[in-house]
Amino acid sequence: MQSYQGDHDIVKMMTVARMTLDTLFQLCTTTAIAGWLLLLASPVTTTLADRVSGLLIPTLLAILYAGLVMAFWTRAEGGFDSLSNVMRLFTKPEIALAGWIHYLAFDLFVGAWEVRTAREERIPFILVVPCLLLTFLFGPAGYLAFTCLRAARAITPLARFPSLRP
Amino acid sequence: MTIDVLGTHQRSARPPFVVELFACEPLYAGAALCLAALVAPTLVAMALDERTLLGVNVWLKPLRFEIALSVYLATLAWFAGWLPERVIVTRWYRSYAGSVVAAIAAEMVWIAGAAAFGTASHFNESSPMMAWTYRLMGGLAVILTSSALVYGILILRHRKSRLEPAFRLSVGLGLVLTFFLTVVMAGYMANSGGHFVGDRSTVAPSAPLMGWARDRGDLRVAHFFGTHAMHFIPAFGFVVSLIFSASTARRAVIVFSAVFVAFVGYTFGEALMGRPFLVVLP
Repeated sequence: MQSYQGDHDIVKMMTVARMTLDTLFQLCTTTAIAGWLLLLASPVTTTLADRVSGLLIPTLLAILYAGLVMAFWTRAEGGFDSLSNVMRLFTKPEIALAGWIHYLAFDLFVGAWEVRTAREERIPFILVVPCLLLTFLFGPAGYLAFTCLRAARAITPLARFPSLRP
Repeated sequence: MTIDVLGTHQRSARPPFVVELFACEPLYAGAALCLAALVAPTLVAMALDERTLLGVNVWLKPLRFEIALSVYLATLAWFAGWLPERVIVTRWYRSYAGSVVAAIAAEMVWIAGAAAFGTASHFNESSPMMAWTYRLMGGLAVILTSSALVYGILILRHRKSRLEPAFRLSVGLGLVLTFFLTVVMAGYMANSGGHFVGDRSTVAPSAPLMGWARDRGDLRVAHFFGTHAMHFIPAFGFVVSLIFSASTARRAVIVFSAVFVAFVGYTFGEALMGRPFLVVLP
C-alpha cells in the first residue's frame, strides 16, 4: 500500500489550484464591478447592496489582499519612505496586484458608504450616481464630489423643499 | 445538580453559543475570533506562496498555530463560565488575561513573520537575534499555557459550582494536566533542537492533517495529546457523569486521567526511541 504523505499532497493540491496573477486580477475586477452594479441597483435591492457591496465583497478582497501581502511582501523591493521606493514596490507583479485589490476594495467600500449616507440624509439617489461613477473610476475624486453634495444638501433650507426632509 | 455543558436546561431563549462565549470571557473569545479570521488570508498565502520549509509550505505552521490557539482560547472562554463568579471582573484577572492574549499575539507575529521571511521560527539559531527571540517566545509560551493551570485550579477550588462534581473534577484536572504536560513535552522539544528524533536533514513522509512523521520519532505527537488533556478528559468526564453515580464517575475520571497521562508518556517515549506514532516500521 502506498503511504499517504499528507503535507506534500496539500502543497501539490494547492499548486494545481494556483491561479495565475492575471486570472486573479480578472476575478477581482469582475467581482468588484458586480458590487458596483449592485450599488447602482440599490434603490431596489437596498439590503442586498448594503450586505454584498458594503461588506461581503470588500471582506473577500481584503482576505485576498492580506494573503498576497503575507506571501510576497518580504520579497518585494522598495518601501513607503519615498516616491521612487513606492514605485519600486509596484515593480513586483504580486504586490502590484495587491495594490490594485486595495483600490478595488476601498473604492467599493466608500461607494457603499456613499449610498448608505445618501439614504440616511435623504439625498436623491440620482445625484449620487455621478459620485459613484467618479468613485469607481477615480476613488478620492468621487469622495470629494459626494462631500460637496452632502454639504449642499446640509445648507439647503428644508422648509422650502419638504420632499428633502428626513 | 445538572451538568449544564451547553446550558441547554435553561429553557429561556438563549443567545447562540458564540455569543455565550463573549458573555463569559470577551477578551479570550474576541482573540479566538481574530485568530480564526486569520485562517482565511493564511490559506490564500499558502495557495500563492511556493516557498517550503522542511518540505512543507511555509504557511502551514502559522495555519496550525492559528487554529490551535483559537481552539485553546475559545475553550477557555467557554470554561470561564464555570469560574467563581467574580473572578472575571477582578483587576488581577483582567491584567493576567490581557498578558495571556498579548503573549499569544507576540507568538503569532513571530511565527507568521518568520513564515513571511521564509525562515524558521522555532529552533532558529541562525542569528543572535533569532536565537534570542526563540528563547523569549519560549517564556511567553509558558505564560499563555499557564492560563490553563489558573483556570484548572480556580475550577477545582470552586466548591459552590453548579457543575456535577465528577465533571468539574474532569475539567479542572484536564486543564491542570494540559499545563504540566505541555510545559514538559514542549519544553523538552524546545531544548532538543527540532521536533524529529532521528534524521533531521531530510523531509519526513507525514501523516495527513497533523503532519507527524511516519518514518521516525516526532515529539509533536506527545505535545498534541498533552495539550489536549483539557478536551479529552472533560469529554470523558461529561460522558461518565451522565452514566454513573457521582462517586463512580469521580473514580472513573481519576483513572482515565492517569491512563491519559500514561498514554502521553507512551507517545513521548515512542518518539524518543525514534519510532513514529501508529506506524509499524518494517
